Amino acid sequence: MMTFALAFAILILVLALGIWFAAVLDGVFSRQLSGHGTVGLLAPFHASAVYLTQQRLRTEAPDQLNWFLSIAGYLSVAATGLAVVPFGPDLAVIGLDTSVVFWGACESLIVVLVFLHGWSPNAPLSLIGAYRYVAIGLPIMLPSMFVLIAVAIPAQSLDLRDIVASQETVWNVIRQPLGLPLFLLLGLSLTLRGPFDYADSDDLAGGTSAEDSGANRAGWQVARLAMLVGFSAVASAAFLGGYLGPVLPGFVWVIIKTLVVMAIVIGLSHLLVRLPVARMLGLIWKILLPISFLDLLWAGLVALA
Amino acid sequence: MNWIAKLAAKAPVPIFIARGPDAPDETDRLHLNPALTIVDTPRAASILLVAGTLPHALKMYLHRLHDQLPHPRATVFWHSSPTEPFSNAVEIAHGDDLASVLLRTRAALLGGERASDADVLPDEPANEWQGVGPHGQGGKGMMGGTPYGRPMAMTDDDIRDGLKLDAYTAEFGPFLPMLPAGMILKLTLQGDIIQDVAVVSPPYEDARKGREIRALLRLLGLPTLANRMLVENAHRDAGFKRLVTLSGVRMAIPPDLGRTHDGSDVRSRFEHLLKDPFSPQKPHLTGLDLGDLLEGREWQEAMLILNSFDNVSLRKICANTRTNADEDSSEQTSGGHENMDHSAHGGH
Repeated sequence: MMTFALAFAILILVLALGIWFAAVLDGVFSRQLSGHGTVGLLAPFHASAVYLTQQRLRTEAPDQLNWFLSIAGYLSVAATGLAVVPFGPDLAVIGLDTSVVFWGACESLIVVLVFLHGWSPNAPLSLIGAYRYVAIGLPIMLPSMFVLIAVAIPAQSLDLRDIVASQETVWNVIRQPLGLPLFLLLGLSLTLRGPFDYADSDDLAGGTSAEDSGANRAGWQVARLAMLVGFSAVASAAFLGGYLGPVLPGFVWVIIKTLVVMAIVIGLSHLLVRLPVARMLGLIWKILLPISFLDLLWAGLVALA
Repeated sequence: MNWIAKLAAKAPVPIFIARGPDAPDETDRLHLNPALTIVDTPRAASILLVAGTLPHALKMYLHRLHDQLPHPRATVFWHSSPTEPFSNAVEIAHGDDLASVLLRTRAALLGGERASDADVLPDEPANEWQGVGPHGQGGKGMMGGTPYGRPMAMTDDDIRDGLKLDAYTAEFGPFLPMLPAGMILKLTLQGDIIQDVAVVSPPYEDARKGREIRALLRLLGLPTLANRMLVENAHRDAGFKRLVTLSGVRMAIPPDLGRTHDGSDVRSRFEHLLKDPFSPQKPHLTGLDLGDLLEGREWQEAMLILNSFDNVSLRKICANTRTNADEDSSEQTSGGHENMDHSAHGGH
């Protein structure tokens, strides 16, 4: 009971800190790259206060229930992802023997939730974003599944706790060099960012969130950042040795590594181009998927050697 | 003021810009102002900024746009005077600083000293319910038809892979940020594929300096690099060019996209703009219409094609294209209930 309470407290801390940090970091990148703008440590709070003072508008004949569920669900899945990440040996909020499979299930739920978010307002631009996201969100999950199976091989377990423990001597990012880059692309898709932002992009004036206003808009934007935290924590556990590290307590290492992954994902989202859907589909099926097979083959051969 | 309003008053003012043909050149540079956030959708804005004088034909669109802002909201006229029904709007006088007026207006809204703008249009369907067919909306079964004057999606032959999806017709523009200002298109979409296009209104004649390259970069998912183009002489900066190259732009634009008769395509027009953002290529456009360019294209590709032309070229292409009026007269002869007001659902 004590360990659960401790793990839960750390989860809330990581989530809150991560969301704030992600919002600030986004500002820093955008300032550095565009050459103007200001970065304030309190800016994320001010921006969300603006949304909270605004009215929540209704569109014509919306699907109110699903609109709410998509936002609440996206946030919950983000928190659930974080909950399977061990903050120390035997210190995970959800200690599950099959946590990698559980995370895989979370990933596929996100496609459904983002689609619902675009479907619910009953508006054309949102719906186009929803259609498009499904077209890309589904196939990009395939490489991620192979990559996650590959990290389970050296641990001989589908439990993230065992996967972290298996990296005592060498981290998976070195043992399986193709894994993390592929997994980061999935992260861009799960968080609707940059090159994989087919749902909420500029060419659709905000896509699935074009009709969001007031608290709904605040909720969706916070959920996107929470998803970035959840994803980055899973990536740090699967590839960067999670809580393993000298001197500092385990959960501090988790936080540091999570923040590093977040910074990389945010950087990539500002720097990489977004391909038209047909070209992206070709890239995923013809190039990324074969690379993920190679990653799995590599992991298998290393395990046999 | 409660504590949330106090926090909100410290944030940049979210504004949505409705641009007229004579909008001042500084309009684009408002992106650089740290006191403002230019948002892409009226749903996220607190203030509707009308920049320049809108042509009479677009007034109706401004009214619809206005009602899509959440309360508390205000309308500010910049380089133009408020017209009916915006009697309560703020007008920026000569010599006033735009940002400080916007900040003051927003503070007054949050503090309750200024009343939020009331709706301009009545909150009711644009057309009456037409009881046609078994479910009242016309069309077949539970699909198609135009309940309350809004067309519903209806399965239609697909022009790409034979998969029959729902075709949906709506007007898009004139204030959508991804279309050149003033342009209104009536598009029939299947999913994200453009099936049919008619011109309701061409873009303004104005040549906003460097609009095309910034729009293309934004459409390619690089809004931060697009904003960098607003900094003086950014296109001469080697570091900036390197970032654009490394982002993979050349791989992203499909070959032969938006090809004109003389062989110019989006890729070549983009390359040209990257070298010289202020003098876009002038391809040969005789006989070329929007249908040739856009039909069968996916949404992002279609937006890339449109924004790769400057406004003068786009107006020439629009002049070659079927207009909304041609289409309505052909529908009249075919009878049926399609010929109702299709307005007001293409967003903003």
